[in-house]
Amino acid sequence: MPKKVVSIVVFPGSNCDRDLDIAVRKYMNVNTELVWHNETSIKNQEMIFIPGGFSFGDYLRSGALATKSPAMKEVIRLSKKGIPIIGICNGFQILTECKLLDGALIDNYKRLFVCKENFVKIENKNTPFTENISKNVVQFPIAHAQGRFYTSEDNLKRLEDNNQIVFKYSSRDGKINKSQNPNGSMNNIAGIINKEKNILGLMPHPERAVNFSEDNDGISFFRGLQYLL
Amino acid sequence: MNLRKLLKMIYRVYINFKKGILDPEAEAIKRTIDSMGYKTIKNISKGKFFDIEISSSKNTFGDLEKISSDLLSNPIIENFKIIKK
Repeated sequence: MPKKVVSIVVFPGSNCDRDLDIAVRKYMNVNTELVWHNETSIKNQEMIFIPGGFSFGDYLRSGALATKSPAMKEVIRLSKKGIPIIGICNGFQILTECKLLDGALIDNYKRLFVCKENFVKIENKNTPFTENISKNVVQFPIAHAQGRFYTSEDNLKRLEDNNQIVFKYSSRDGKINKSQNPNGSMNNIAGIINKEKNILGLMPHPERAVNFSEDNDGISFFRGLQYLL
Repeated sequence: MNLRKLLKMIYRVYINFKKGILDPEAEAIKRTIDSMGYKTIKNISKGKFFDIEISSSKNTFGDLEKISSDLLSNPIIENFKIIKK
């Protein structure tokens, strides 16, 4: 049987698309198609990834200009059909700017670009994207300057009530506290899902946690995604 | 006055953070001003503006409002204000 094909949308300034491509092909056992941002249609609709980087130079606000790309208009249309969509880092910023996910990702609390390994607790395992990850706390690299998740108090409550908060920055043993919060995100939020549970956004980079050993947590993240296809 | 200049239609769109959102850049600027010895500066907020020249007055304000809310600002975190220059 031919391998299934998932799409990775690439913008001018994306720089995690190749890493993601390698991780997805290797650990999801699929083929990939890189879709340039000015494509008006996305042929392979099994799953769509929006990669990290600095789309359009992060001009205006991170992710803002990418939302108007023809390929993103198509992603927005396909999202209504329930197709699984994952945005990582700048991809998460793009998905919030498109209003496909709630909230906004703004300058880190200390205005520093943070680039390090961080523990991340899986807050909700009852999602298609996380149900097959065996660990409760994973270690993923983070690398961003605008990762401080912000939303109104009402929306935050709604996200919590609907169990839409999927990842939180945590300690190794899963404790959520301020000292483990690298960017000042509300309630340590590192990743959320939409209400319909087909769109996931996260700031950490699972595609950068696949290289060194079979224990790397990015591998279980991508292996778990196979079951969505 | 130069007629061409008189006929130029330029609008300025101001964008700033909504109240209650911490702006670490404005905070850092405030701390530096404090360190310069000024004692009377209570608070600083930072924003940006866009000067937009348009070619027709038809639907201008509606278009500018839409551009401002759809792209130039993010309504979750920012307010905008449009003035005619």
